[in-house]
Amino acid sequence: MLGPGIASYLIVSVVLFGIGSLGVLVRRSPLIVLLSLELMLNSANLTLIAFSRHVGGEDGQIFALAVMVVAASEAVVGLGLIVAMSRFTVDLDVDKLRMLRG
Amino acid sequence: MDFRTPDIDWAALAPVLVLMGTSAFVLLVGVFLPRGARRGFSATFTALGLLCAAIAAGILFAQDETASLTLRESIWRDRLAEMAQILVCGAGLLAVGVSYWERRAPVDDDGTEAPADEHERIVELYALLLAAVGGMAFFVQADNLMALFLGLEWFSIALYILTAISVHRLSSLEAGLKYLIVGSFGSAILLFGSAFVYGATGALEFRAIAEASGDAERLFLVAGLALILVGLAFKMSAAPFHMWTPDVYQGAPTSITAFMAAATKVAALVLTMRVLTTAFPGEEELWTWGLAGIACVSLVWGNLAALVQTDVKRLLAYSSVSHAGFLLMPIAAGNELGGRALLFYLVSYAAMSVGSFAIVAARERELRRPVTLENLGGFGWERPFYGVTMAVFMFGFIGLPPAGLFLGKFYAFAAAYERGWTWLVIVGVLGTVISIYYYLGVIAAMYMRPAEARVAPAGGSPPRDLPLATTVFLALIVTVGSLVAADPLIDLMRDAVASLTFPH
Repeated sequence: MLGPGIASYLIVSVVLFGIGSLGVLVRRSPLIVLLSLELMLNSANLTLIAFSRHVGGEDGQIFALAVMVVAASEAVVGLGLIVAMSRFTVDLDVDKLRMLRG
Repeated sequence: MDFRTPDIDWAALAPVLVLMGTSAFVLLVGVFLPRGARRGFSATFTALGLLCAAIAAGILFAQDETASLTLRESIWRDRLAEMAQILVCGAGLLAVGVSYWERRAPVDDDGTEAPADEHERIVELYALLLAAVGGMAFFVQADNLMALFLGLEWFSIALYILTAISVHRLSSLEAGLKYLIVGSFGSAILLFGSAFVYGATGALEFRAIAEASGDAERLFLVAGLALILVGLAFKMSAAPFHMWTPDVYQGAPTSITAFMAAATKVAALVLTMRVLTTAFPGEEELWTWGLAGIACVSLVWGNLAALVQTDVKRLLAYSSVSHAGFLLMPIAAGNELGGRALLFYLVSYAAMSVGSFAIVAARERELRRPVTLENLGGFGWERPFYGVTMAVFMFGFIGLPPAGLFLGKFYAFAAAYERGWTWLVIVGVLGTVISIYYYLGVIAAMYMRPAEARVAPAGGSPPRDLPLATTVFLALIVTVGSLVAADPLIDLMRDAVASLTFPH
């Protein structure tokens, strides 16, 4: 097998997943949060593809393709919601979205 | 070039195909109808589609003595999936009744009349409702990590949009965005876990995972299983992964809340039971204890947080978190009795969830503002049918007759006891004792507030709402009927879980 081994890919994808989940948890702009979600999904894609090559089947690659479609539709819905909210001219800041609380 | 089409058992896909076909039909035809005709048209066909899908699932249930796989072994055709499909379609059917007049006079957050174009989105609402039910029907059939993830996202994305469909209300949009962010976070965790399980075993299909797990890399397999559990716990709103639940339940249109509370729980819990027993029988030590832990946290946290709520939708949201705990108990027990208990519990729980949110919707439409314990005062005297029914539901949530949950809770405790987990039963009983306080608080708010504290309905007498009243009546019948017909129902559930092999 050419190229770096499975461990290098896994390290990169775990780091990406960590950055993504940290972004979701601490960033305030919903746009950045959506971006971080994409990062998490894509780190999972990288894992799937790396493992797919490692175990020698193509299931993981097909899975990764399907995940890209899902990620795109999620982004569409998320961006649509942000546009709809921006019509209310509120600050785009998830910490200030606190009408719903109890 | 050799081109062959795969061998597909179309009958196994019938419920999903009916639902998605109806969804497309409602959306495409609804656009061309005059505005006045859209509501009646889309609601009628949505109800018909859900009914046909439920009947298709029922016919399959009667036929399928043994379980089989189709679509290259990625989905099941078995009684467990078909029973779950019937339940999900039933919840959708009740939600159609709740949502029928919801948007007759939509209100903004400040109680003023919403702009007129709000009345138009009724077709989209029903098309998305059908798509969500279709996604759940597909999800519960999954026998493959890919089908699991795709089914999960399929119904989740439909639910994100449904939550935010009242675009004139900022609170609805806020709930939608929160649900999207937290829901996708959970899905991403589940996906990452699936990738690790795939890496450890080299398989995506559940039984192949079980076969390969013997000589799999333990670290990857255990990490993957844990991440999958966390992802599913987000969907079933079990504590400590429930933080989205109160906000989303409060902000979403009440009819959608009613649907989500019932149907998402059915789909997520049935699939959790399937994936754990089918794909991870060798790791049962891990997941039974893990689920028992999540169940305890949900029972304690959900019940304690519900005590301090004043908004009725939020209160019911925390109640649903605590019921996630009760529902996880039989799965954690990992025995056949637990499987039966879970499905039996879900029947009356789903009916009561839709029913209680429907009654909240009735009050909301009278007052034109969010329902709190405060402004529920006198509701029981003004609307005797809704009052008595709400009281039945509240007693039912506690686990008292005449609701089927009385036996459901008993079976759930019995399953944990059979496993030898008396401590879990004790936690469950303690949770029930705490819950008596807030469930009775709702009844007290309806009947025991002094007359001067009552809030008059906006604009005189409340509007007639026959679809809503019918829904509440049907939910009541299912709730009480599941106790009356408990014996045949439990036999049905025994057939439904026959295709699973339980570790204990």
